[in-house]
Amino acid sequence: MKIVLATPLYPPEIAEPAPYVKELAKRLSGRHAVTIVAYTRLPEKVSGVSIIVVDKHKPLFIRLVVYFFTLLRAAWHADIVYAMNGASVELPAALVALVTRRPFVFHIGDSAAHERAKQKQLLRFIERFAFARTKEVTADSPLVRPEIIPFEPFPAEGMAVYERSWNTHVNALEATFTHDT
Amino acid sequence: MTPSTAQQAWEAYREHEFAVVTPVLDMLGFELDAIQPHTRGERYLMQAITTAGGKKMILLGRRKTDGMRVVIKTTSDPHGMRELEHERECRRVLEEINFAYQVFRSPTEILFTRSNGYLVSIQAFIEQESTFLARPFEEQFRLALKAFKAQESAHATTYGHEQLVTKTFGTMDAATYSAAFNGFKRNISHELQSGILPDGLLDEASKRLEKGQEIIEQYGGFLTHTDFVPHNTRIRNGEIYLLDHSSLRFGNKYEGWARFINFMTLYNPSLAEALIAYVRLNRTPEESLALTLMRIYRLGEIIWYYTDTLKKSSGDLHTLNEERVRFWIRVLAAVLHHEKIPPEMLDEYRRKRDSLRSEDEKLRQRDLH
Repeated sequence: MKIVLATPLYPPEIAEPAPYVKELAKRLSGRHAVTIVAYTRLPEKVSGVSIIVVDKHKPLFIRLVVYFFTLLRAAWHADIVYAMNGASVELPAALVALVTRRPFVFHIGDSAAHERAKQKQLLRFIERFAFARTKEVTADSPLVRPEIIPFEPFPAEGMAVYERSWNTHVNALEATFTHDT
Repeated sequence: MTPSTAQQAWEAYREHEFAVVTPVLDMLGFELDAIQPHTRGERYLMQAITTAGGKKMILLGRRKTDGMRVVIKTTSDPHGMRELEHERECRRVLEEINFAYQVFRSPTEILFTRSNGYLVSIQAFIEQESTFLARPFEEQFRLALKAFKAQESAHATTYGHEQLVTKTFGTMDAATYSAAFNGFKRNISHELQSGILPDGLLDEASKRLEKGQEIIEQYGGFLTHTDFVPHNTRIRNGEIYLLDHSSLRFGNKYEGWARFINFMTLYNPSLAEALIAYVRLNRTPEESLALTLMRIYRLGEIIWYYTDTLKKSSGDLHTLNEERVRFWIRVLAAVLHHEKIPPEMLDEYRRKRDSLRSEDEKLRQRDLH
């Protein structure tokens, strides 16, 4: 499948959904053609994954327009667009969904942005507008990778649980993507 | 300025400042402690080399009404005043950035005023249960990691008020790091007598930084405390209090780590190794490289700092500063060649340092870290 991941944050940013998107791309790239469209400048590379960057230093309106056209190009031939919540992606993604009629799935990985959308009318409107254009909205996220502390025993149990949570998550996503396409 | 005149000039400045400032503080309701460790020892040599540090006095005292212990910073020097005002602004903006407020605390400001041509900044003295280095190893590691994570969570681009944030704290990018290092290299090569610096070492370091420009840039734009070492913090009830806000800037994510790890190479090598291992085990290989590059940069800075003190010091202090230059050159070589500093070399250096330090400096160092 050709999968586009649309995200407002990507490593070296450390806030969610940045690490999630990178890890997901890594895990999907073995079986699918993955493209990431991200607001960033010098993204961390993932082998076999194409990353298209949109400079977030531009004024808000310009970067939204640039993101829209960038995502539009990437989404045109995609089988599925998996977008992360947050107004800076929701608005262009919703418009791209309207234009391309490609299947979109939204992921609520940035709970702070989701909470902000509940509080502010404009953000709430954008979020609802975007979610209405998608086939599915999911808040399912895998576990956070356990930290390895050098002077403590390796967290083997935690790592196994973490791996299982990712496998379950990726399988569920692939089922959703296949179903939606 | 010759070594003796540099020290004499500081001592004359200190005595003059005491004479003028004591009645000013008395009028403001504060009194000074009889012993002022931060005005003695090697204090006269200290001048930040990458920030615009001015002349100022850091004094300990008490509020007369209730005996509350306070830290008093005073200056009549325009650069010193700018520094104190800048530090206050940094403290204010830091409190606006939600992330850091949860982790870093600032000592309560008691007074910030101008009086008789002096700028006086007074903050509550933070009593701590013990110094950082006297704490259990695991606690040191957790506290350091918590502080670094708090800094990293502030990325310049994530703020709507990016302009304000970066203007307040200042920024460094790959090009400015490289230019600054080349400045250190030039100065060291010019000032340091032959035989101390191994041939080609600084060129090798400079090339490594040049080659790593993209990595340095990639992890740029993060809030980092460039002098995050135990003597610039105090810890009480698990809370970290920042004493020096003027060293915060947006730069490479690992600059603060690098300064801390270089410091711990001497003071607690196991902690330095644990932090390096943490980055290696939990983060990308590029991040480990960024950390190494920043360590190289900061080692260049410290070697230049001590090289610069040679012309201002004499006697035992001059000998000690030469030893310091040699020691940090050895650490730079070790970082460049992925070697460990042998424990016996650390012990020997510490022995020499302790034997060459003046009594005043020993007093200043007491409970500092």
